[in-house]
Amino acid sequence: MKSFTESLLNVRELAPGLGLLFVVLFFTLQTGNFWSPETMTAVSSVASTIAIVAVGVTILMISGEFDLSVGQNFAFTPIVWALLFVSDGINQWISLIAALGLACFVGIINGLVTTIFGIPSFITTLGMFFVLEGLNNLLITGHQLMMFQPSTAMWLLGAQIGNTPFYMPLVWMFVIAFVFWFVLTRLRYGNWTLATGGKVGPAKAMGVATIRVKRINFVLSALLAGLAGCMQFSYLHTVTQGQGQNYELLAITAAVLGGTSLFGGMGTIWGSVIGAYLLATIQIGLVLIGVPGSFYVTFIGVLLVIVVIANVRLGRFGGNQA
Amino acid sequence: MSHGPQNRNSHPTDAAIPVAEKRNEVDRSREPLFELRAISHSYGRNKAIFDVNLLVWPGEVVALVGDNGAGKSTLLKIFAGYLEPTSGSLRFMGEEVRFGTPARARALGIEAVYQDLAIVDQLSLWRNFFLGKEIARKIGPLQVLERRRMRREAETAIAKLGLTRIRSAEQPVWALSGGERQSVAITRAIYFGAKLLLLDEPTAALSVRETRNVLASIHQARDHGLGVLYIDHNMNHVLPVADRIVLLEHGRIVRTIDRGEVGVEELQELIARRAQNAES
Repeated sequence: MKSFTESLLNVRELAPGLGLLFVVLFFTLQTGNFWSPETMTAVSSVASTIAIVAVGVTILMISGEFDLSVGQNFAFTPIVWALLFVSDGINQWISLIAALGLACFVGIINGLVTTIFGIPSFITTLGMFFVLEGLNNLLITGHQLMMFQPSTAMWLLGAQIGNTPFYMPLVWMFVIAFVFWFVLTRLRYGNWTLATGGKVGPAKAMGVATIRVKRINFVLSALLAGLAGCMQFSYLHTVTQGQGQNYELLAITAAVLGGTSLFGGMGTIWGSVIGAYLLATIQIGLVLIGVPGSFYVTFIGVLLVIVVIANVRLGRFGGNQA
Repeated sequence: MSHGPQNRNSHPTDAAIPVAEKRNEVDRSREPLFELRAISHSYGRNKAIFDVNLLVWPGEVVALVGDNGAGKSTLLKIFAGYLEPTSGSLRFMGEEVRFGTPARARALGIEAVYQDLAIVDQLSLWRNFFLGKEIARKIGPLQVLERRRMRREAETAIAKLGLTRIRSAEQPVWALSGGERQSVAITRAIYFGAKLLLLDEPTAALSVRETRNVLASIHQARDHGLGVLYIDHNMNHVLPVADRIVLLEHGRIVRTIDRGEVGVEELQELIARRAQNAES
């Protein structure tokens, strides 16, 4: 029988969880207003959308592929949505579904090109990144789309929850993370995803449809990026082509901070959610203690490298941890 | 119990072998499990296998030995469905079969276990054990894993095999040695009702203790009535488990040796001498 401490040590979310706890404690002690409603709104709204993007990126990374196009998709999908239902007067729900369908289409292309031609997804999705960047530029040419009267769909995706400091993306984040946690750990599909990223040879030999698993995960990653982008738009009431800048890298960072392996086969959904909160807390916390805003990315960069070194040293990537 | 079919179907040089007193319990009066009839195979213009006849009975361990390039791996690949022979026919459980793909061979109960293709390191033991054949409840379009049941069944199956180091099926397989992984893969094949087990150098690069584990698993498979065909270079590993040793040379079966007919040194000398003769 496993002892309690042993079971606890086997929880992959433990390390990032402790990291988050440490960061929160640090900023609570260093600032007077870390628990103010304004800070809570700032942290949770930044974290929620990154977390949703990171969840999609995580399941794709676990199956052994990357998606660098999620940041551009994060702007592309809401831009399409807004243009359809504002400029073209199409029903808001139909245009939302159409926009999300387009997001899925981006994922389908990523998946097909990667699996059919056998090229690294790093390249496929980098190409898609530029394609979408160009399309975003073409669609709104540097302008800002603004909604003065949010629609029902926008309310559902981004409204404030009662009088709390929290907004709808936070609820959606929990719902989505729960669904994906269930998929990854409780469904046959999750087992196949883990096996595909772990070692493709044996997985294939045991009858796992590895190509199909990867393709589906490309679509899930793109869909969640687009959906999170629509939430951001619904929350801010505005979208620019710069929305989601760096999100592809932040999502991968959140996943890695949360214990997802860069080589596939390992990772958890809740770890990535914690990773996203780690990023958001540090971003807002640094502002609160008066560090110049641009220092945030520098700090994250250093943190990311340290965490990966620690993981490699601890054998979490190497695979010799019992 | 007749020794006839084997001689009749084997290469003519076989006839020279005196029929030894049999100590094994392989019932060769029954229908053979697998049969190669006049199999030849060429890679392009290079012929690798020449008119090979080979039978494997249920509950029999057959070892393929021979020098590098003798055609052992090619034969194994034909058994596993990875290669379609250029000519000749395959019979599985009395029926003529054509595999086309490894998947079709697997569907019939032919399970190939390769050292590096047996196990996904990152998955826990039970997830590996049931990979591709998960026990799942269907809820709408969802296949919800029956985790507790799979964990229990994997633990029971592995406990029967005597891998005592494995405490829980929740354990990731990183902790397992190369031999244990193969034993898990062999146990999995037995559990899922495989009829013929194919092993390509299962003891290569293993320690003595690990080798013993793998050989025990092969015994286990035989005792469950599976036919086992395996390639091994170490005659010390071949003799204790093989019911029959098939010596290949340049794509031909040159000798078939029954269990207990020769000792280790004799066997090694035999292979070396034949290799020497072939060179000169």
